[in-house]
Amino acid sequence: MTIKVIMPKVGLTMTEGTIREWKKKEGDWVEKGEILFVFETEKVTNDVEAPQSGFLAKILAKEDDVVPVGGVVGLLVKEKGEQVELPVEEAEAAPEASPATVTEVTEQGASPIGNNGKARIKATPMAKKIAKEKGIDLRNVTGSGPGGRIRVSDVGSAIDAQAKAVEAIAVPVSEGKLVKLTGMRTIIARKMLASKIETAQTYMTVSVDATRIVESREKLVPVIEKIAGVRPTINDLLMKIAASAISRHPIINTRWTPDGILWFDTIHMGMAMALDDGLIVPVIRDIATKPLSAIARARAEIVEKGRAGKLTPDEMKGSTFTLSSLGMFGVEQFTANINQPESAILAVGTVTDKPVVVNKEVVIRPIMKVTLSYDHRVIDGAKAAQFMKTLRELIEEPFLIVA
Amino acid sequence: MNKERVIVIGGGVGGYPAALRAARMGAKVTLIERDKMGGVCLNKGCIPTKVFLHSASLYDEVKRGSIFGLTAEKLQIDFSKVSARKNAVVDRLTAGVTSLLRHKNVSIVNGTAVFRDSNSLEIMETGEAVVGDKIILATGSIPAQLSVDGSEDIRLLTSDDLLALDSLPESLLIIGGGYIGVELGQFYCRMGVNVTIVEMLDRIIPTEDAEISGALEKALVNEGIDILTQTTVEKIERSGSNKKVVLATPAGHTEIVVSEVAQSVGRRPHFSGLNVEKIGLATEKGRIAVNEKMETNIPNIYAVGDVIGGIMLAHVAAAEGECAARNSMGQPTAMHYRAVPRCIYTSPEAACVGMTEKAAGEAGREVQVARFPMQAIGKAVLQEQTDGMVKIVADKRYGEVLGVHIIGPHATELIAEAVLAIEMEVTVEELAHTIHPHPTVSEGIGEAAMVLSGGAVHMP
Repeated sequence: MTIKVIMPKVGLTMTEGTIREWKKKEGDWVEKGEILFVFETEKVTNDVEAPQSGFLAKILAKEDDVVPVGGVVGLLVKEKGEQVELPVEEAEAAPEASPATVTEVTEQGASPIGNNGKARIKATPMAKKIAKEKGIDLRNVTGSGPGGRIRVSDVGSAIDAQAKAVEAIAVPVSEGKLVKLTGMRTIIARKMLASKIETAQTYMTVSVDATRIVESREKLVPVIEKIAGVRPTINDLLMKIAASAISRHPIINTRWTPDGILWFDTIHMGMAMALDDGLIVPVIRDIATKPLSAIARARAEIVEKGRAGKLTPDEMKGSTFTLSSLGMFGVEQFTANINQPESAILAVGTVTDKPVVVNKEVVIRPIMKVTLSYDHRVIDGAKAAQFMKTLRELIEEPFLIVA
Repeated sequence: MNKERVIVIGGGVGGYPAALRAARMGAKVTLIERDKMGGVCLNKGCIPTKVFLHSASLYDEVKRGSIFGLTAEKLQIDFSKVSARKNAVVDRLTAGVTSLLRHKNVSIVNGTAVFRDSNSLEIMETGEAVVGDKIILATGSIPAQLSVDGSEDIRLLTSDDLLALDSLPESLLIIGGGYIGVELGQFYCRMGVNVTIVEMLDRIIPTEDAEISGALEKALVNEGIDILTQTTVEKIERSGSNKKVVLATPAGHTEIVVSEVAQSVGRRPHFSGLNVEKIGLATEKGRIAVNEKMETNIPNIYAVGDVIGGIMLAHVAAAEGECAARNSMGQPTAMHYRAVPRCIYTSPEAACVGMTEKAAGEAGREVQVARFPMQAIGKAVLQEQTDGMVKIVADKRYGEVLGVHIIGPHATELIAEAVLAIEMEVTVEELAHTIHPHPTVSEGIGEAAMVLSGGAVHMP
């Protein structure tokens, strides 16, 4: 039996791919799910897994060859030395019928967490039961059984790997108490790790003189309290200011997709919020058009709902940029993990009195350090620096946002 | 692509599937066999014993025919015809193997192979040289020989001999109450021979679940077989044309005079004469040493089946042969022995897979056990075969099926479902939810599983 390996379609606009590398030679045995070849579309490289186990009988598209979606790039056979049946021209081969599976390609607009595996996972009943109890996501487990079926031993290895990771953190090693993973913890873990692995995170910190923003807030407290019934915080102001800076540097308000960079017209501000047992990022929508009073009210409302566990999933998704502050804990400076699929996140430290030089004199000023984590696939260093420059100017002279 | 040359030594159930698989995968295969194709299984083991037992069980059933409203007059055993049919069946099956091999263009060399170096063998009888890239050893086993005081003068019959007797002896003592001993014991008993089985340990088929061997022992004793457990043979001497056997039993020494004494105390790997020392092939405890890919210490040489020891069963040898063939052709495959069925073709039949209750406990598993009696199964009742049960040993935590032990009608066929269950890491829940055909004895498996998952329907 001859199995065709075809160029898969990995994005809506993809029409062809360039073979970058074959991971196997003609005559090699390849297991189903093993990476067979790597191809490239404009900017992305994709690994393609073998659709089935077999011997790689023929490589039809060599490295650097450009192959249309659905085109046959190689042939697998089940038995060594088996006669291969060369494919007849199949120009209209439906790309949907692609037997090749592509690893880790995030669909446009879909968060890596969202696509709860519709695809069938081959696992034995015991493996499923144990995985469920131990909170192991079978989508992340490689099966060693026939056809890649996940067996108990595979789940065991996954549990061991997890235990080892925990052990590595917990020194000295003690018996400890194992607390089962909550759904939220599993999501945080997956999302945070994906962020570290899938983005080109780069960091940039600036020190900002917080004199004016602190003064401004003090002046605004009675005003906003009167309008909105809540006291505005420094973070409320910072969100407003960040939105203003983003409007001037829209590259910050983007999303990486395999087909290109998606630029958003509207800024939806994510606000990282700690809970007792985890972390959520509720969203203040279209923040650029909102006055400070509306931002403060929205913030107060989502904080209250968040603590009560009453936020709806809709209120926690769709952010295009996120602000995370640990100022209240006295943290001077830190880096935050990009909240994928966003392109950047701002980490805000505490305001501390520091000696600084102003007009060749040492003076004491309230200083705040803000750090941008940005995805270098989308945002280059100079662009990030320009944004940070604007941000700094606006924090130091908040009235400039009306400019 | 140049064809890989694969040499398989031995045409038994380890060797011939290896040859066929390698040929299917594109190899040029040479199979060397010094005797008949099919090895022990076809010629001196599985098949001939089952032909015998089939006659015995038919005979037994017809004898009980009046229960079913059938009377057969002058029912007689013609042992020479039973024997002749055995030979005919064996010939038909070995011819089938030969034809399969020819169909796949496997060259068959009749002769005895001796290693010249790690890539070539010499055929002793002709001096012909056979050269290959890969060599798969499947030279099988021979019956183990007891050494008993007196056994130098009096040849103890082996299972080979018991399958080739010209006439029925009056009485027969079999040393060893394992699979082969009980099967041949029951056959000869049903043929009218007075049979005694002597077992050193405290029960027959001591490797299997105690309840299974207990039930089988009861059935065999009821048929008139003398079973002496915790008994060893001290001495054998001639007594006219008979043999006097001195036995050490828990109650003291005793003597028994029988026409023939046979031994069935297991088998041992056979590779003498191959000259494996010359090429430096590693052995351990009298068997060829291999890893889970059936690779020996010499990179291009593999070994499978009884010659590597382990579980010496035909279906295991066949699986190992497949495994070695795939590896030799560059397709990495590892053997695993999670779910190996073990069958006894007595009546009632017994069949087991996975762990016994005891072994599971010793392995540190928290075990739950369910039994479902044949008496509660309609098909068993209508066949008047209500002795026996289905016993499931499962892990308490998730209900993982660890072992299934069946004694009763069709046990050896029924076990296949349990093998799949264990292979697929199934729990009692899935087994209980599986619809079993009615009326069949297989309902017993479903019901036994229900005992551990929601409760059985057909039991109070």
